[in-house]
Amino acid sequence: MILDDFVAFSSEVTGFTEFDLIGTGQAESYLRTVTEVVGERTLADLLDAYRARVTDTGDEQARAGQLTGAVLGDDRLGPIARNIIKLWYSGTWFALPDDWTGRFGAPGREGTFNASPQAYTQGLLWYAIGANPPGARAPGYGSWASPPLIPALPPSPVPQSVRTGS
Amino acid sequence: MTPHTLLAERRLPAEIDTMAELEAYLNAALRLEHATIPPYLTALYSLHPGANSDARHLIRVVAVEEMLHLTLVANVMNAVGLRVDLTADDFVPRYPAHLPSGEIDFLVSVQPFSQAAVTTFLNIERPAKAPNESSRLLPRPDLGAGTVLAASPIDPSRRFYSIGEFYEEIDRGLRHLDHLYRAEGRELFTGDVARQVTAEYFYSGGGEIVVVHDLASALKALELITEQGEGLGGGIYDGEGELSHYYRFQQLQLGHYYQQGDVPGRPSGPPLDVDFTAVYPVAIDAALADYPAGSPVREAAQRFNGTYGDFLAHLTAAYDGEPRKLLEAVPWMFRLRDDIEHLIRNPFPGRPGVHASPVFTRAPEERS
Repeated sequence: MILDDFVAFSSEVTGFTEFDLIGTGQAESYLRTVTEVVGERTLADLLDAYRARVTDTGDEQARAGQLTGAVLGDDRLGPIARNIIKLWYSGTWFALPDDWTGRFGAPGREGTFNASPQAYTQGLLWYAIGANPPGARAPGYGSWASPPLIPALPPSPVPQSVRTGS
Repeated sequence: MTPHTLLAERRLPAEIDTMAELEAYLNAALRLEHATIPPYLTALYSLHPGANSDARHLIRVVAVEEMLHLTLVANVMNAVGLRVDLTADDFVPRYPAHLPSGEIDFLVSVQPFSQAAVTTFLNIERPAKAPNESSRLLPRPDLGAGTVLAASPIDPSRRFYSIGEFYEEIDRGLRHLDHLYRAEGRELFTGDVARQVTAEYFYSGGGEIVVVHDLASALKALELITEQGEGLGGGIYDGEGELSHYYRFQQLQLGHYYQQGDVPGRPSGPPLDVDFTAVYPVAIDAALADYPAGSPVREAAQRFNGTYGDFLAHLTAAYDGEPRKLLEAVPWMFRLRDDIEHLIRNPFPGRPGVHASPVFTRAPEERS
């Protein structure tokens, strides 16, 4: 299922577990956002490249190398992959670079925009730094006097669904 | 004839005659106030973000007021020198549960927001005054299934007509004991005032905290609890002009807001939007053992369960001489909210169409 593949890939590149990503409630919305901008075909190419070249690699270093070579370093897929990371962290889809659109065609939706009204508050950024999104998701009076609670990294960078082969 | 039946035959007060009996009642009150919170929070956080803002607001207000009630009961206990403990293994009921005040005609579940959930909430908060003195306490048949914590804490074979009547009993007991103590030249309210939770430590939490130091303030604290729940003297508003819980929830059924001057059952205010489909279908009354071993959702549910136990221990410390600890409890509650939301948005492994649910009930110790 494309949503599962999208979340597995997102887990690999964001450093958050699939449970955490689904827990934001934004997975479907982000999948819709990416599909709307780059189209089903291009997104499928990205997820296929990830699945074919990265998911079977066990060694962590080799895995990172494969991810860079097959996805992040690819002229067409790299900018999309980086945008997916930024989308999860900030809730914002950033406009693709001009030279990308020049080479690969106009996006289905132009510019920089928020994926949904909830996306800002659900950005991974806030969990990563142990802070609340300013102006939203109240943390409780005086909480700023305590050190931020930063979640531990997942025990393995490999997404759970990829590990168990489901 | 047991001492209990002797007590039951006495007309006024029916039951509370000693400090131990008062303690049994106040402990049941703590459990009662807390027992409503997991169902309210689960329904609240099952709402899809961006939808059902009316229901979200209504349920949240009630849940926060239940937290105030828990704190008010703790203040009454501290005022008479009793210790508060929320950490007993059975403090959180095993849902579906009967309420600790003993109503037997409905069970309370941890479930998503739904018509059934609203019906349960109305049952919990129903403004019920017994038709006459002799029907306040009723015989209580053996219930079989479901957790039954207590009905009359002193005589489990008897139950109260409603939560209001349960608190009425505590009201009478306090008056009676205060009178008894005075007659013997003793003081009932000997608790250290420094143990009271004051407005410094409990703020914007659904009403004014009442610092309890004598009979009048103790009765005021109890009165606030029952009025917020079921209204003042059968009206739809409480003494502070706030709509009582029962009528707040009834708005969800009737689709309109109440406004001043309305009569029960006929809210004439603006319409209210309820969408029972914009809800995560969380598992009803899930236990930890229901989650597949080793699944990330099981691990998260277990982590939440442990954190919730730690949180109740922290609250116990706050209610047991360190009220300052309530300040840290507030950010902690927001983190619990985030944990619950994360669980609820994840599918229940192996149950298509069902989502995960927080488990509040303490898990039996795992044997290794």
